[in-house]
Formats: sequence, C-alpha cells, structure tokens
Amino acid sequence: MSIGADIVAALPELFLAGTAIILLMLGVFMRDISTRSIGLLAVAALAFAGALIYLGDGRGTVAFNGLFLNDGFGDFMKVLVLIGAALTIVMALRGLEQEQMNQFEFPVLLVLATVGMLMMISANDLISLYMGLELQSLALYVVAAFRRDSLRSSEAGLKYFVLGSLASGMLLYGMSMVYGFTGSTSFDVLAQVFASQEDAPSIGLIVGIVFIAAGLAFKISAVPFHMWTPDVYEGAPTPVTAFLAAAPKVAAMALLVRVLMGPFGDLVAQWQQIVVFIALASMLLGSFAAIVQSNIKRLMAYSSIGHVGFALVGLAAGSEAGVRGVAVYMAIYLFMTVGVFAVILAMRVNGRAVEAMDDLKGLSKTNPLMALAMAALMFSMAGIPPLAGFFGKFYVFMAAVEAGLFELAVIGVLASVVAAYYYLRIVKVMYFDEPVEAFDKPVGSELASVLAISTLVIVLFVLIPGPIVDGAATAAEALTSAGR
Amino acid sequence: MSLVLIALLPFIGAILPALMIRAGRNACALTAGSVTLTSLILLLSYAPAVFGGEVIQARFEWLPGLGLNANFFLDGLGFFFALLILGIGLLIIVYARFYLSKQDPMGLFYVYLLLFQGAMVGITLSDNILLLLIFWELTSLSSFLLIGYWKHLPEGRQGARMALMVTGSGGMAMIAGMLILGNIAGSYDLTVILQSGEAIKASPLYLPALLLILGGAFTKSAQFPFHFWLPHAMAAPTPVSAYLHSATMVKAGVFLMARMWPALAGTPEWFYIVATAGLVTMIVGAWISIFKDDLKGLLAFSTVSQLGLMTMLLGFGTPMAALAAVFHILNHATFKAALFMTAGIVDHEVGTRDAKRLGGLVTLMPITATIAMIAAASSAGLPLFNGFLSKEMMLYEASHTYYLGQEWILPVLATVGAVFSVAYSARYAIHVFLGKERHDYPSHPHDPPFGMWAPAGLLVVLVVAIGLLPQAIAGPLVQVASNAVTNGTAPVVDIKIWHGVNAALIMSMIALALGLLLLWRYGTFVALRQRFPRPEAKDIFDRLVDRTAAAATFVTDGLQNGSLQRYLATMVATMILVGAAGFFGGSHGAGTRATLPISPLGLIGWLLLVAACLTLVFFHHRRLLTLILVGVIGLIVSLGFFYFAAPDLALTQISVEVVTVILLLLALNFLPKQTPVAEFAPRRWRDAVLAGLAGLGVAGLTLAITTRDFFAGSISEFHLANSYPGGGGTNVVNVILVDFRGFDTYGEIIVLGIAALAIFALLESSLHGKASKRLANWVPETARAFDSHPLLLVVASRALLPFALLVGIFIFLRGHNEPGGGFIAGLVVSIALIIQYMASGFQWAHARVRVDYHAVIGLGVLVAGLTGVAAWIAERPFLTSDFTYVSLPVVGTFEVATAMAFDVGVFLTVVGAVMLALANLSRIGRLAETGGGSHPIASQH
Repeated sequence: MSIGADIVAALPELFLAGTAIILLMLGVFMRDISTRSIGLLAVAALAFAGALIYLGDGRGTVAFNGLFLNDGFGDFMKVLVLIGAALTIVMALRGLEQEQMNQFEFPVLLVLATVGMLMMISANDLISLYMGLELQSLALYVVAAFRRDSLRSSEAGLKYFVLGSLASGMLLYGMSMVYGFTGSTSFDVLAQVFASQEDAPSIGLIVGIVFIAAGLAFKISAVPFHMWTPDVYEGAPTPVTAFLAAAPKVAAMALLVRVLMGPFGDLVAQWQQIVVFIALASMLLGSFAAIVQSNIKRLMAYSSIGHVGFALVGLAAGSEAGVRGVAVYMAIYLFMTVGVFAVILAMRVNGRAVEAMDDLKGLSKTNPLMALAMAALMFSMAGIPPLAGFFGKFYVFMAAVEAGLFELAVIGVLASVVAAYYYLRIVKVMYFDEPVEAFDKPVGSELASVLAISTLVIVLFVLIPGPIVDGAATAAEALTSAGR
Repeated sequence: MSLVLIALLPFIGAILPALMIRAGRNACALTAGSVTLTSLILLLSYAPAVFGGEVIQARFEWLPGLGLNANFFLDGLGFFFALLILGIGLLIIVYARFYLSKQDPMGLFYVYLLLFQGAMVGITLSDNILLLLIFWELTSLSSFLLIGYWKHLPEGRQGARMALMVTGSGGMAMIAGMLILGNIAGSYDLTVILQSGEAIKASPLYLPALLLILGGAFTKSAQFPFHFWLPHAMAAPTPVSAYLHSATMVKAGVFLMARMWPALAGTPEWFYIVATAGLVTMIVGAWISIFKDDLKGLLAFSTVSQLGLMTMLLGFGTPMAALAAVFHILNHATFKAALFMTAGIVDHEVGTRDAKRLGGLVTLMPITATIAMIAAASSAGLPLFNGFLSKEMMLYEASHTYYLGQEWILPVLATVGAVFSVAYSARYAIHVFLGKERHDYPSHPHDPPFGMWAPAGLLVVLVVAIGLLPQAIAGPLVQVASNAVTNGTAPVVDIKIWHGVNAALIMSMIALALGLLLLWRYGTFVALRQRFPRPEAKDIFDRLVDRTAAAATFVTDGLQNGSLQRYLATMVATMILVGAAGFFGGSHGAGTRATLPISPLGLIGWLLLVAACLTLVFFHHRRLLTLILVGVIGLIVSLGFFYFAAPDLALTQISVEVVTVILLLLALNFLPKQTPVAEFAPRRWRDAVLAGLAGLGVAGLTLAITTRDFFAGSISEFHLANSYPGGGGTNVVNVILVDFRGFDTYGEIIVLGIAALAIFALLESSLHGKASKRLANWVPETARAFDSHPLLLVVASRALLPFALLVGIFIFLRGHNEPGGGFIAGLVVSIALIIQYMASGFQWAHARVRVDYHAVIGLGVLVAGLTGVAAWIAERPFLTSDFTYVSLPVVGTFEVATAMAFDVGVFLTVVGAVMLALANLSRIGRLAETGGGSHPIASQH
C-alpha cells in the first residue's frame, strides 16, 4: 500500500493533528487571538473530521503496515468521540472565561487528546494502541491540573498522572508478555495465533491478557481501578471534568472492546471472567457509593463507574449482540453525561461555581426548563423507560441473557434499582424542595443549546432509535465479522 | 390502526388541556374529557368483535433487532381493563373539574392525568412485553407527577418519592424477569408467550423469572411486604387518589398477574407465593384500615386489602377463582372509586377528613351520604350490592382450597379478612355520616354541586345495578375477560344473586356479625391495638435506606479517602491477586528449557544487588546515602551487562549513571537531606508486604518465561546476519539504533529534547516569584567546605578537558563498528563539561560557555531529521541509510555512512539536553550562592 493510500485512510486523524499544531501556532504567535476563537476553530475542526469520517470510503482498510485499521466499528465510535469532544469544548468556552483559565492551550490540548482517542479506536497493533492511549492520557493529565493555582486541581492532576502511569506500566508489561509469546504485536497476527492454538494458552499469555485488561480497565475507570475517578472528577475544573466524563470513556471502552473481541476474540473463556467480575464490581460500587455523595461532580464520578459496569455487561456476553449493546450504551451514555454536565456548568451563584446537590433545590421553580431537562436526564440515567437510558441497559442485559449470563443480568438490574435511588433524589431535590438561591441567568447560548440537544436525543430516542441503533448494529457487525 | 389510537390519543391529546386552560377551566376540562371520550368510543367500536371472541392485532416494526415491536392487541382482558380505565377516567375528569380550586393549575393537572391514562391503556393493549414495560414505567413517571401535584404539602413529596422508588424498583426487577421470560419463550410477543406456558413452567429459569415479575406486580399493586407506599401516596389530590389508587394504577399489578396467568400460574410456586402474599395483604390491610382516622388513609388500606383479595384469587390458579378475581376487579373499581369521591367531597365541603371530627353528616349532605353508604355497603359485602357477589365467590373458592394440605386454613383466614372489611366499611358509613350532628365542623357542610356528586352517583347506580342484575349487566364482560385470562378455560359465567345456603353464605354472615361487633366495641379494640408494637413499614423502609447509606459511607470513606498511597496499594494488590489467579489458574507445567548452572561471579553480583537494594530501602530517608546506593545498583547492573557480553549497553549504562548521579547530586544540594519519617507503621508493613509479593510475582513470571521457549524465534538472528551487509557496521547495537530502528531513535532524541525543555521550564519558574526569594535567603543545612574549589581539582579538570573531549570523539567515530556511538559520546562529553562546572564553580563555567543549549538540542534533532529526509532524495523511505567506502591518503580506507550524520544529531541532542539541565541548576546555584565570593584561580577575564 502506498503512502498516499495510508494518508487517505488516516485522513481525519492527520487533519486533526495538523489542526492542533496550527492552532497552537496561532495561539503562540497571534497574541491577541482569544481562547474562544481557538475553541471555536477547534470545534469546527472536530466537525470537519467527523465529516471526513462520514464521507470517507475504503472502510475496512488497513494502513501503515497494519498499524492502523479503518472499519465500521471505528467509524461509529469515532463519530461519538468527536461529538462528545465538540459538545464539551463548546460547553467549556464560557466556563473557561468565568474561571479565568482561558489559556489558548486548553482547546489545543483537548484536540490532541481527541486525536489520541481516534488513534486508540483505530489501533490495529499493540504499539499504535499504546501511542493513541498515551497521547490521550498525557493531554488529559495536563488539563486535569490546568488550574495550577488551585490545590484541588493540582492534586487531581497529580493523582491522575501517578495512577495513570502505573496503569500504563501494567499495560506495557502485559503487552510485552503477549509479544513474547506470540512474536507479534499486530492484532491480525495475534488473532491468527490464538485461533490456531489447540492447547490451553500459556501462562505468559494469560498473565499478559490480565495486565492488558487491567491497564485498559483503569482508563474506563472500572472497579477496582476506579480510585482516581471521584477525586479527579471533583478536583479538576468542571469544564475538564465534563470532557473527561464523555469522550475518553467512549474511546477507552471502544478500545477495550476492540482488543478483547478482536485479537483476543478466541480467548473469550480467559477474559470473560475478568470482565464479568469488573462489570459486577463496577455496577455495585457505582450504585452504592453514589448514594451518600453530596457533591454532584463526585456523584457523577460514581455514576460513570456504574455506567461503565453496565456497558461491560454487554462486553461480557462476548457476542455481536453484546458489542452492539456496548455501542448503544456508550452512545446514550455520552449524551446523558454531556447533558448533565451542561447543567452542572450552569450551576453558578453570583458568579461563583457551586457543585453541591443542595444547590439544585427548588430548581423547578427558579428555572423550570432546566429542571425538566435535568429530570429527563436523571430518569434516563436511572434507566426508566421510555427514556434512552432504558434502551441502553436493555440492549446489554439482553445480550447477557442471550449469552446465558443470567446472574449478571439480574444483579445488574438490582444494582440499577439502587442507582435509581440517587438519580431520583436529584429529581426530588429539584422538584420538591424549597428553592435556594437561583442560578445566574442567562446560562448562555452554548450551555442551553448543548443541554437542549442532549435532552432531545435522550427523550426522542424512543421514537427515532434508528441512527444510533442501526449505527451500533453495523459497528458490531463490522467488528465481529472482521476477525473471523 | 385505530387500536393504536386508543392508547396514543391520550398522549397526543395531553397537550390540549395545557393550551385550552387559557380559554377557561370548563374548556380545559371539556377538551380533556373529549379526548378520553374519543378513545372510549374507539374502544367500544371493537366491542362486537371482542365479545365475538376475536383478538384484534396491530403490528408495527420498531426495533426488530431488539425483539421490540410496537405490537398491540385487544382481547377480552385488555378490553375489560381499558374500559375501566377510560370510563372511570372520564368520571374523574368531570369530578376534578369541580374539585380543584381556582388556585390549582388545572391545565397541568389534566396534562398529567391524560399522560397517565395513555400509559395505563398502553399497558392493557401491549402485545409485546417490552412495550408493556415501557408503558408500565410511564405510569410510574406520570403518577409521580400527579402525586406530587400539590407541591406545598411536605408529605406529598415524601409520598411521591417513596411511591416512585418502590414501584420503580419493582419495575426494574420486572425488566430482568421479562428478559428471562422472553428468552425462554423465544419471543417477546405476549401472544406467543401466553401459548408457551408449558415450556415456561418447565424451564429451570421459571422460578427466577416468576420472582422478578412478581416483584414488579407486587410493588405496583402494593402487596405485602410492599404495601406501605400506597397510603403515603394519598397526600395527592383526591381525584388522583380515586383514579390511581383505587381504579387503575394499583390494579396494573393485578392486571399483569392476570395477563401472565396462562404462562405462569398453576404451579405450586405460583400458588404459595401469590396466594400467600394476597392473603396476608388482605388481612393486614383490612386490619390497619379499621383504625385509620384519616378517611383517605382508611380507604387506602382498604384498597390494599381488596387488592390482596384479587391477588389471592389469581394465586389459587383455578379458572373459577380467576373468574371471581375478574368480577371483583370490576366491582371494586365501581364502589371504591365512589367511596374515594365521597371522601373527597367530605374533605372539600367539611374541611377535614379526620373521622374523629366527623359524624352526623347524613342530614346535612343527604346525597353524599346516600352514595357513600351504598358504596360502603357494597364494600362490606351486603347482599343486593355487587361487592356481595364477588366476595361470595371468593369465600366459596377459599372454602374448598387446600393450603399446606389443610382444609381449614384458607376459609378461616378469608373469613377473618371479611370480618375486618365489614368493620372498616361500616366505620366509614357510621362514624362519618351517622351519629349525632356536631357543631364544630371546620366549615358548614352541604352537598356539593351536581357535577361533583354525579360521577360518584353514576358509579353507585352501577353498584346497585350489577348487584341486582349481575348476569345481564356484567355477565358477558366478565365472561370474555376471564376467557382471556384463562386462555379459554374459564367456566361459563352464570352469576346469580342467590346461591342457596352454602358455606360461603354462612362465612359471609359470620363476617357481617363479627364485623359489626368489632365496630360496636371499637374503643376496646383500639386500646387492644395500642398495647402491641406496630411495625411501621415506612420506618423499616427508611431505616433500610439509612443503613444502606451508612454502609455506602463506610465504603466510600474507607476506600476513597483521598490518599494516593491507598489507591496505589489497592491497584497493586488487585494486580497481584489477579496476576496470581492467572498464574496459578492456567494449566502449564514446569519450564521446558534446561537451566544453566549458577556461576560464582553471577551469584556475587546478585547478592550485591540484593544487598544494595535492601540497604536502600532501609536507609531511604537519608537521601545522600540513597543516591550513592542508586549509583551502586546502576554500576552492578552495568557490570551485569558486561558479564552478558553487551559492552555497548554497559557503556551506556555507566555514562547514564554518572550523569544522573551528578545531576541528582546538584539538585539535592537545594533540598532537605532527610526524607521526613512520618509514616504510620502498619502502612509501612502493608507496603512492605505488597512490594514483597509484587517482587515475588515478577520473579515467578520471569522464571516461568525464561525457562521456556518463546512462541516465535528470537529476532537477534536477523540483526546479526544483516548488520554488516545491510547497515555497514559490525556493531549490531549501534546499527540497530541508527539504522534498523533509526525512526525509534529519532523519536527518542525528540523526547530527550522535550524533557530538557521541560526541566528548563520548571526550573525557570523557580527563578521568579516566591521561590526565588526563598532561594536568595537560603542557608545551607551543612557548613560549606572552606575551600570550595580545591586547586588540585581545578587544575586537573582543566587539563583533562581536551582529553575527555578527544575520548568522546573517539567513541563517537568507532561507534559503528565497535562499542560506542553518538549517545555514549554525548554523555562522555557532557560529563567532561559537568566536571568543569563542579570544579570551578557555576559562575566561572557559565561565563565561559556561551553556547545556547536550546539551539544545540534543536540542531541535533534537525540534523537527524535532515539525514532522514535525505533518503527521500534518493527515492528511498525516510531514514533509509546508505554507506560507502572512501579512501583518503594517510588515513586509509574508511567507511562513510549516512548513519554517521544521524549519529551526530543524536550526539548533539544528548549534549544539549544534559547541559541545559545543568545550566539551569547552575543558575539556581548562583542565585543561592549569596555573594559566594570564593572564585577559583584565574579569575582573570
């Protein structure tokens, strides 16, 4: 394959990487350019990259000597990541100004992180996987500690970095094991090797898979590698938390799915127990620990841990239906999370950001529309039909039941009962408690439109499920049919 | 299509009242009413077909991949329930028009009510259990809105939240149950599932599915032990209570049990779970109801009790009992809705619903009293009213059903339930309407306007009509509905007013007598009840929530206390556990490779390494010692490389060690010399154990891996074979670095450069602001040597410099064929320069080295990059190397490779990076050397 074809295959990624560098140069050399302009340019670039993915043909192609893979699964997940990144950057614009942290590097770093995510999703080799993952992680470590004058933000960034490095180390350790016992880092070769192996996989391989799974579990903040999540979510500036909670989760989940279903697809028996375990632990911990949180960002951290657990239920099934479930779940999760963070970013009283759950008291009286949107998002997160969250849960649970994982599905449903408790608590606080000080108005057109978009997606999913469901089905089919 | 419209019309029409409220309250109610009426007429248009035994279906593809289709069907049971929902809904709309005051936002009320109505009708018409689930939870959501409608009442909030929590949880459980059920039956369509009852009952997953589905049904229908939420939801406006908590929503659970009857009923599990829950609920609900002073509380618990009765009948699992259940559903809906409406009228007109403050209303509000007393009579089961007929059927069924092998248990307990129900019904009639007229009513009681009592009146007309002519009025409806419940096995309905004297009649009469006796001795029973502890289910629920919260706090505070060390410990511990599971879980034997003998030299090196590491751990708080030990370890490792015949690695390792130790030493100069020991002993032990285990794990893995062959052969062969012919060098390591893996090296030097820039940026910031002030006032912890620049060292270092540089160049040049190369050469040159700084002082050296190290780094990267680009000119891929042999006089023939230019880049970058770090440390040093004054010799400028 010629270099030209390689470039075409990775055009969206290359375009974004180039844009990031150009934006960086703009910021450095045009002193008077505002962060807002850079941010808007970044959003435009993300949108254009999305268009490139959408319009691009030659799907299912392998480029750069097999390091990079373009397929339907990747396309679906990439578009999700781009949507998540774009929406969160749009939301962050005003927040950055309000928090006096509007350095131009911020949107640039987020674009770089997004490039990393796209690379992760398209990885067809352990090396390119690691490259993408680290590009994403490094950018995120920096933005987590973006408010250097804030102790909490610095601490959050440091914790994220230290724990993230440990996880990356584990990942590398596992990769080297796998390489040692297969002689290749390429996903295609790995898949062939595993498919042709008659006897039980060797010890090095099993330990390697365990370590790789652990490293990736950290990135999706699954229990027991979730410890960083609440602290980082709470400590990082809210615009950063919004970003962290949305796109990177989708990308990391896509990566986990690709790795486990692709090269390790024939070793389902080896990793299924691991995934079942972390799914159970994440669902239960996410649900129970969230009950007592009073800080809404911390609550969202536990909530995201729980959601990851639910999504993993689909992966645990190890089937095409399971992958479809994960894809649908992550798509819905993305919109729910973005919507909730739009509300959290709008939580400002007298120019000061507030993040206690009690600050939402009586929101239905002070800002009925926002309360209504938030209530819809909460009901969706709780998985109450007919909102989108229900379908997300339904797809993964159905896949689990079809795969014979009845206990997993039942425990998952019970965990979602507990989770429903704290989502409903927020609704109760908004609708039935006496109002406290109202939030500053107007919340800004960026936040309002992001909130409106995500809420509409969640509410209308029941009527127009096609785009997400069909896309996820195509993605799952592309992933599961390719390797076999 | 019009079938779907029956369910969809209320949803679509729900926006109309919100729009019409501007046109006045009447218009608003009228639109809501006409929406409901249209649905009702549509439904009735199917009546001939349904009574003819047809099942009407409407199917739409929705999410076929999920098995979720928008399939609707209408059979007898669906028709029966939809009729109840729409019919009573219409009456409630009329009633609410008069009940709600001017301050209440009526438009919103009707919106919620219509939404709820649509969801309820949706449940009854769904042919797909997933669709049913969606409507099921929609009722929860819309009822949440309705119950919380009166926001100013605190108990309304509490009640709404608990109601949603309990029914929502049940709904979730039901999702799991439905999934399993659909999995057993192979379809999510009810019509299919209902036909595969045998397969479902035979499945090993029958019991879990049953339990989960019943979880949903029991919570919705407030069956014991989930009965506690219903009375607390009664803070809602009375029209809501009447509609949701008597006629419709709470019957959704009963409906579901009836719907699933062909698929699930008839097993011992079904009998004991469902019938027992129903029986207990019937008795407990009725007993509590007797002692409720709040009229709505009384009616709420009586509803719980009546629902228990229906559940019990369905639980019996016989077609006849199912028929009785259907009939009782109809009767209960009529008399209980009427009772609720009268309670609302009393509350509305008298201003209180407290039974203790009421009495003697019969003369003041005769119409209301008449309606209430007829409805109460039916509820008590007095002959000639419809409640009597279905209760007779229930008692008859109970009288010949064996429970736990005993014949007497059910009849006795059913009679006890009946006694209580007589008592509470009579209490409602007697304590409120009869007795002496009082003079302390909060407001003057009078009959309400026609529109308010008419709906209740219409209902009691039905009560009496069915009571008198049951077969003619209710017969066909009950017949089709029970046929649908039992899959056509229901007996032919023939309801008569008089069955002759039989067991049921005797039980009925006993119940009537004892019930009235109970009410006559009401005071005694109240006192009796006070003496026993009464477990309040709401308190138990609250306590359960509190306990869970406390446990959650324990978990979050214990695990998630913000300590990075703890997080790391958790992660490492997990990895050890999981790794061990993988290690010991896999099926693998001992290694296949032969082990090598232990050489004495290797053993000594190993012991030294272990000793150095252990010493380091024990003395880690003494930083200087730590640094020395780090150097020792590095030295042993590089000796190890020598031992394994890797001189290149050894050289690199040694030079890196030297540079690192020197730079660290310089940095340490400005830092405390001791690491504070503030650690908690148990934590140290924890860390020690974790570290030990992790070490063992890695050791075990290394052993396991080195004692067996890799899957693929080693890649060394390729490089050994191709190093000279392909890369023109005999030093394989160097050829790999600059040629085969040149791209990697290129990346590495860029990283090195970035790292140096990062050090620069970090140290730069300490030269300004607070940090610089601290530095300027810095007093070294230890006294400085008097002679900070010893003459001998200064002289020696200056003399050595040219030699050191020469050695560097030598190492660089021989790199391609012998151990050496750009990287090592760079380090050697850096060391030579560092020595100058150390010996003669920062200031002296800095004044003489006028090189911008940023530029050196940049140049290095650029040179390496350009070398790579040059390959493009020769139409080869990036960084392809080439070499040729050049003959020069004197020197002789030697090889020139493009890799050499690349190596120059590496060399420059390394020198630049090390020196940039050093230069910055030196700037800090100069800032700290407050007027140091002692200059080395030759301070001549």
